[in-house]
Amino acid sequence: MTTLKSFKTRGRIALGALLLGALASSLWAAEPAAADGSATNAVPAAVKPHLTGAELYSIHCNRCHAERYPTERTAAQWKTIMLHMQIRANLPGKQARLILQYLQENSGR
Amino acid sequence: MKQNLKTGRWMFGPGIAFGALLLTSPTAATAEVSDAAFNALKDAVQKLSEQVQSLTQTNQLVQQQHEKDVQKLQELQAKLAETQQTAADADQKSTAAAQAAAQPAPRSPIDEATVNHNFQILGDAEFQYVNADHQNGAFLLADFAPIFLYRGGDNILFEAGFDTSIANNAPNGGDHNTTFNLSFAQLDYVLNDYMTLCAGDMLLPLGTYSERGAGWLNKIPDDPLAVDALLPGSGVGAQLRGAVPLGDTGKLFNYSLYCVNGPGSADGTGNAGSLDLGGNVGLRSDGAVANLHNNPGGGARFAVFLPFYKPRYDLELGVSAEASEWDNAGSHLWTAGVLDASLHLGPNFELKGEYIATRFGSDDFGTINQNGWWVQAGYKLAGLNVELPGLNNLELLGRYDSLHDGLGTTTDRYTIGAVYYVTTALLLEGDYEFIRSTDPTQPSNQLILQISYGF
Repeated sequence: MTTLKSFKTRGRIALGALLLGALASSLWAAEPAAADGSATNAVPAAVKPHLTGAELYSIHCNRCHAERYPTERTAAQWKTIMLHMQIRANLPGKQARLILQYLQENSGR
Repeated sequence: MKQNLKTGRWMFGPGIAFGALLLTSPTAATAEVSDAAFNALKDAVQKLSEQVQSLTQTNQLVQQQHEKDVQKLQELQAKLAETQQTAADADQKSTAAAQAAAQPAPRSPIDEATVNHNFQILGDAEFQYVNADHQNGAFLLADFAPIFLYRGGDNILFEAGFDTSIANNAPNGGDHNTTFNLSFAQLDYVLNDYMTLCAGDMLLPLGTYSERGAGWLNKIPDDPLAVDALLPGSGVGAQLRGAVPLGDTGKLFNYSLYCVNGPGSADGTGNAGSLDLGGNVGLRSDGAVANLHNNPGGGARFAVFLPFYKPRYDLELGVSAEASEWDNAGSHLWTAGVLDASLHLGPNFELKGEYIATRFGSDDFGTINQNGWWVQAGYKLAGLNVELPGLNNLELLGRYDSLHDGLGTTTDRYTIGAVYYVTTALLLEGDYEFIRSTDPTQPSNQLILQISYGF
């Protein structure tokens, strides 16, 4: 039992270290410096008045799976898939339409 | 013009002759003129008059012809100008067409009429190798799970998912069998931008794993212990679900409200071991259509999705619950509650987890309280910005999950793993699990390798 407890403690420490390390690394790598060394001036999406279809695609698809390339499907196929994803991912209709427009405009025909 | 000049010359000659006669006439007037001479002169004058009249008529005809020629010439000139304009327009159109042909056609959605209906197959497939201690390592076909989608217009979708797998028969039974299970089959009707009605055998929104974590979506090959043991994956019933935007920055309020048959009893009794979370589908083996207990169950999930900073930075928090009778007599209640959270910090870091608690009454053990949780983190090494072959396709994973079944068995599991992304849809997964359980039949360590493909 002592061994089990010790193992659990070590495991939790290791998992915690992994999480903290990944978190720190992610934050460090999140905002790369510009080529001239100055900080980039990316406008946070949170202050933009309206999100584009491409931005919504990046926001929502990444929640559950790696983003699929728009060219993987035709415009007609994306229409059916986006209806499926609108329901499965609980997306408002307007946002789903903007994502669909982005996917169709860049689709594999 | 030449004709006019010629006509003028013809008229000029007789005019001179006539003038000469007039000049000579004073001398004739004073002298005697014979009748013959007078008559000759009269004839000459008569002839000259006729000639003048003829020439005048000819001249009029020539002038009329000239006017016609001028009019015709003007018409021809107008037609020529029109033809030249037409030729210029054609040349311009030809140039424009050539320029358009030289450029790629703009991408545009296929005409709506051709895509009003559409049939589509999505899904995933996983193949595994498992080596657990005290057991022989084995290859296995874990899952082939197509999802069929049929869109009947802008608002109607039918979707059904299947799981196909093969397994050896019972020890010493020989051969193997194939199972073909219906994971879900539901009809969806989008009522408006914020609400969809679903009906059928539905994946249940108790937490997020059953809807978003199955198959290739999950980066670790096996499910969290508590999800498999404590929650029903699907239920037969109806559901209202949707999302309401909170402003224009991508923040959402999500909701799902559903009514299903609820869990049943495997043998009709209220004994704890008979709780069947997924078998009450409304149709009994004897053909009768009936819920296994008197009243249906109901459940809901509410969540907020909060993107921040920029795309791929977001936090989702959700709470969900379900309550239902479960034994045939309807004397015991089964309830479940789930807290779920998911955090993304850029494209490379993800942290998510759930806490699950269930409670149900039983004839033999009274009220049983169960709980479990899982937390999983992943980090894609592409975030290190190190250019090493293959490194940018690698993601490291860690998971801790725990299950307390309320009947005396506790299991804790620590998992470390990695995913190599051959493409965004083809994943090579591997994990090693350290399992610590009070159930002596559980392995202590386990290696799982998996190929996952999402299509």
